[in-house]
Amino acid sequence: MKRNWIRSIIGGLSFASALFIFQACYGTPQDFQTDLLVQGQVKSKTSGLPIQGVKVSVADNMQHEYTDNEGSFSFYTELLDQVTIRFEDVDSTQYGSFADRDTVLTNIGNNVYLDIEMEEK
Amino acid sequence: MFASVKRIVFRKFKEAETKLHELNYLFWECTTRCNLNCLHCGSDCLKDSSFKDMPLGDFLPALDTIESPPKNFTVVLTGGEPLLRKDIELCGREIRKRGMRWSMVSNGYLYDEQKHISLLNAGLGALTISLDGLEDSHNWLRNNKNSFVKVDNAIGLAASSSRLNFDVVTCVNKRNFHELPEIYDYLISKGVKAWRLFTIVPIGRAKSNQDLILSGNEFIGLMDFIKDKRKDKSIDIKFSCEGYVGEYELNVRDSFFFCRAGINIGSILIDGSISACPNIDRSFSQGSIYRDNFYEIWQTKYQPFRDRTWTKKGKCANCKDYRECQGNGFHYWHGEKNNALVCHKELIEQAKYVRNAKS
Ligand code: SF4
Ligand code: SF4
Repeated sequence: MKRNWIRSIIGGLSFASALFIFQACYGTPQDFQTDLLVQGQVKSKTSGLPIQGVKVSVADNMQHEYTDNEGSFSFYTELLDQVTIRFEDVDSTQYGSFADRDTVLTNIGNNVYLDIEMEEK
Repeated sequence: MFASVKRIVFRKFKEAETKLHELNYLFWECTTRCNLNCLHCGSDCLKDSSFKDMPLGDFLPALDTIESPPKNFTVVLTGGEPLLRKDIELCGREIRKRGMRWSMVSNGYLYDEQKHISLLNAGLGALTISLDGLEDSHNWLRNNKNSFVKVDNAIGLAASSSRLNFDVVTCVNKRNFHELPEIYDYLISKGVKAWRLFTIVPIGRAKSNQDLILSGNEFIGLMDFIKDKRKDKSIDIKFSCEGYVGEYELNVRDSFFFCRAGINIGSILIDGSISACPNIDRSFSQGSIYRDNFYEIWQTKYQPFRDRTWTKKGKCANCKDYRECQGNGFHYWHGEKNNALVCHKELIEQAKYVRNAKS
């Protein structure tokens, strides 16, 4: 309570950044941005089996990851009003051959789980 | 008049923060191995550190003792060079799983595109990269002829990410002091949004290298440079938290000097010691994660950090600015701790006195 009182005065004196933002000389800035945890699994629409080696990326962004042997992926990315996640079969025919697809996420919270089916080509 | 009201209110704020001592910022010295051999290294760490990296499995139980961490709680991975750890992404993901944020300090040497992506994927939210000059000066201080090329690439990658809260730090020394305007232009050209400047603490390898320590006149030059560049707002430039700068307070930073070591900043060091900023004398250790409950130590110990009256000695004993400064940055108390190693205010005043006497 007392702290809030002091904080409002300090805020009023344009020290808002002093309240919350600080860093030690050998430290980093603090991280106040909200982000999004995207997790999921990619399977074949025909066989229902997980697909390994699918490139899962955020459109217009260099971030990407490849699905593991259970078809799973998991990464954090910037939370925007709309995030497009792209699924691409980039390993030629190694784990089968699938058509690429996009999933557009809107109205998202801080994490999302995606069950993705990819069509065989 | 208004300035003195601000000062008084800020003093009250500091008192309240000290009393509350909310842990917001936890350094984890996860390795002391390093791939560079910098001339100013305060930790004297070498490539083959005698300490093994702290296993993630040792760190996490200590982290788990923290009861309801505040929303902005951040674990800051530091070293040595954290990127030498093969499991850095796993460390980050485990921290995020606990609802906490993580960030990292790096020399940028191993920060390539692949690393940039894997760290972002693991939820890295903030990053600091050290740049100590233009190519020759940076390579000289970093003791490595390729380090500028590497750090230049790392800075470009980090600055391109809108997700990362990224800044560059520069350790200002005699060699790079005259390059500051060019470094400033360089950083703006790279799209860097924030730049923090600090000076070298005369300990570790730096103590025996006089090329590193700024003179009083140069220090004033640094203050004036920051003050001047803050006006044009092309980049968020500031002096680091390192010390109280008397008449330059509020001209070189967003707020008055406040050393938050042990007040909001804690650490788990390579040997398990519980302390505050890693550059603080190791004798200030408050316990060990291998013996103690980390959060219990945070809540019940740290007396020398929260009550700084013991620093009222040496040059600080009769200082009229003591209430604002409280003995300068905690990291300036080493060895016998009879005196603050550096007083920035004194440095400024003495140099100005000499200047005035000459003119
Ligand atoms: S004498 Fe001590 S308390 Fe006074 S300004 Fe210098 S370091 Fe700070
Ligand atoms: S000990 Fe030094 S680096 Fe840490 S908060 Fe205090 S002044 Fe900053």
